[in-house]
Amino acid sequence: MLFNSYTFIAFFLIILVLHNMPFPWKVKKINLLIASYIFYAAWNPPFILLLWLSTVVDFFVGRALYQQENKYKRKLLLVVSLIGNLGMLCFFKYGGFLLENFVTLVNALGIDYHPAKPSIILPAGISFYTFTTLCYTIDMYKRKSEPVKSMLNFALFVTFFPHLVAGPIVRPPQLVPQFETPRTATQKQLMQGLFLLSLGLFMKVVLADSMLSRPAETVFSSQSVLQSLDAWIGVLAFSGQIFFDFAGYSTCAIGVAMCLGFWLPQNFRYPYAAIGFSDFWRRWHITLSAWLRDYLYIPLGGNRKGEFRTYMNLMITMLLGGLWHGANWTFVVWGGLHGSYLCVERLFRPKKAPSDEVPAPETAPAGPVIEPVPVITTTASFAPAFFRKKEVQNFFWALFTFFLVNVTWVFFRSPDFTTAWRLLLSMFGGVSSGAAVLQTISIVKVAVITILMVASHWFLRNTTMLEVAAKTKWWIVGLVWSAMLLLLILSQESSSSFIYFQF
Amino acid sequence: MQPNHFLKAGIFAIVTIASLAVCWELYLRHKGYSVSYDDAEPLWADKRAEVYQPSNQATVFIGSSRIKFDLDIPTWEKRTGENAVQLANVGSTPLPVLDNLAEDKNFKGKLVVDVTEVLFFSTEKYSAGSSVEKIDYYKKRTPAQMASFQLDHLLQSQLVFLDKDFFSLNSFLNDLHVKDRAGIYGGPDFPWEFDKTMFNRQSKMDDRFVSDTNLQNRVRAIWGSLGKVNKEKPPTGKKLDSLLNAIKTDVDKIKARGGQVVFLRTPSTGPFLQMEKAGFPRKAYWDRLLAITQCPGIHFEDYPSIAHFNCPEFSHLAPKDAVVFTNHLVQLLEQKGWNFSHSQLAYSSHHQN
Repeated sequence: MLFNSYTFIAFFLIILVLHNMPFPWKVKKINLLIASYIFYAAWNPPFILLLWLSTVVDFFVGRALYQQENKYKRKLLLVVSLIGNLGMLCFFKYGGFLLENFVTLVNALGIDYHPAKPSIILPAGISFYTFTTLCYTIDMYKRKSEPVKSMLNFALFVTFFPHLVAGPIVRPPQLVPQFETPRTATQKQLMQGLFLLSLGLFMKVVLADSMLSRPAETVFSSQSVLQSLDAWIGVLAFSGQIFFDFAGYSTCAIGVAMCLGFWLPQNFRYPYAAIGFSDFWRRWHITLSAWLRDYLYIPLGGNRKGEFRTYMNLMITMLLGGLWHGANWTFVVWGGLHGSYLCVERLFRPKKAPSDEVPAPETAPAGPVIEPVPVITTTASFAPAFFRKKEVQNFFWALFTFFLVNVTWVFFRSPDFTTAWRLLLSMFGGVSSGAAVLQTISIVKVAVITILMVASHWFLRNTTMLEVAAKTKWWIVGLVWSAMLLLLILSQESSSSFIYFQF
Repeated sequence: MQPNHFLKAGIFAIVTIASLAVCWELYLRHKGYSVSYDDAEPLWADKRAEVYQPSNQATVFIGSSRIKFDLDIPTWEKRTGENAVQLANVGSTPLPVLDNLAEDKNFKGKLVVDVTEVLFFSTEKYSAGSSVEKIDYYKKRTPAQMASFQLDHLLQSQLVFLDKDFFSLNSFLNDLHVKDRAGIYGGPDFPWEFDKTMFNRQSKMDDRFVSDTNLQNRVRAIWGSLGKVNKEKPPTGKKLDSLLNAIKTDVDKIKARGGQVVFLRTPSTGPFLQMEKAGFPRKAYWDRLLAITQCPGIHFEDYPSIAHFNCPEFSHLAPKDAVVFTNHLVQLLEQKGWNFSHSQLAYSSHHQN
């Protein structure tokens, strides 16, 4: 079920009413669990069996991992959990990709092998709930937290519908305690939740789908080399589209949970105002980058095993992070580029005490986040005073980061390397006469939205939308809210899926 | 922050939006606009699911926009006592839909294939695009999408402003008509009065369109500009042979299951018809299509009862003519051996009374 659908609105209203009825807390939790299964089954009912399997296996394996004293049995249990979770992910998500690469390899070795193409349907959100359950069993293995006592709480932790299919990726200590005591939203939480839900839908339906998706699609599906203007506008359109699509989903998820009295961690903090790439990954898909840090980068050794290993670990983490997004080498290159940027940034950064790159995910309600500003290289003394101001320098570094991020999106969005290369050539003037494919109105739309997006990210970079709204006069908030709803009504298109559902 | 800060803002937003929506709806209705459904994938998929009715209860129509305008579904249903399932797609060749029905072993019914040569014989990707997308949506449709469609239908049946083709943010921005660079074609800009879509997917011209020659000329000019943009040459030689053989294969599959297929050349007039005759000579295309597929065909020029229409914009029938055309179409199909629940005799006696 999509947040941007009439079905969800009807579904959510029913859940909201049920959740505020005078039922015992256990009944309310069962309601939420059944609702979550309905939410998931609305895509493809048979795949609910996978979700059950993953829940049941990890609940019992997690408890056994925590209680088991024999270290070999513990390792065996961990392997069972890893094979169960990652095996399922590999089969559904990477089965076709692995076979395709295997065939290419054996054909290159001169062996004539051409198996039938497998037809595997990817279950919605499998990458997300696999990571959610994996972190539980790994935590149990490390005895980082207590096992969840109740099967109902654990099932709800895995399946809770706001985060189930596209995150934020939650950790057991963040969500399970919230199921242990009765919760309903206060009037303030309910209204804030509805505000966030409206904002998320506005980002997804109006900005991502209605305004930006078509120019991006036109440019990335073009079979010819393009004029630089068209190529850049297409890439900027995708840059905005993926942000508004995914951050829109996360905002909806946080808002929906808030309406029910639950808190979910923030997943985006104005990433296009990032100054450098370590800052970018503190702001983009925060719960994934934190997961990769805690369950991949640090176990690999993090930055504790010397400079060379640190760079290697960064690259491995980002390459696998890229592959997590999709079974295609273009995603690996996308991850590789981000890894390289992080390595270069680290190389030129002044040395300081060892610390890991990405901050831990939040475990408390969102508050203002003060970001460490990376050291800026000295500007030549003959530069005008305006450009020597630190804030101005930071802004230009943020623009430079945004520019490099856009280059990486080319690989992320292109279906193959031929398209990516053709687009890069078009963007950087590598071709003499490219085709024009975008209408003037599309160029204007993308340019205006991009400028407003980068500016708003910059001015809001150290705060949250709810904080800003709380400090603003109520009638101004009401006007903005009305404008968002009005534009939502005016952008009624047949609802389209969220990009991150395919990951 | 005041204690009821978000509550006050929320109430303000709801009151504002409700007031604006009511005013907007009343204004549009006052201006003469009426409900038109979004003819997108969900509506097509809803109709696609209806093709499994027994062959004595429904006929399926595929093609391009002409059959959507020319077939008056209430007339068809009253006249035949059977349902009409409209699966034609605007600006699209019906061949992907023909193939989809041929591959569906559960489809064994009656099929009318509308032939608009310039689209029917097109092998370009764009002319199949709309049909392919709709078929793909139908195949992957989820229970949630089906439920959303029902709610969407409920709202669209009541609210004019939900017409996304004319009253959406993008349509307002397109109405600014910002000048494009050379070589960019932004797509046709049809007037609202030209095509209202009913829930049964029938297209209808508004009365204002039928009486307003300015609006008609605007659409005629669009046909002219589309003709200039379309650089595709009619297929000939092996390309045409291969296309016709693929059609024959699909038709044979449907016939082998007991289905019936008729090709229908719906009326067009004026320069449009001249262009079609020049580009797709009847002998080389229509006659070959019937000969290869061994299917009956109804070409409007062969039957005086349906040859006299005047298409307001050269390509589609006005609603009143669609009623006449549909009545005669049923008669012609019966002459071709098709049987309907309401016999011709019943129709004749009904008209005599």
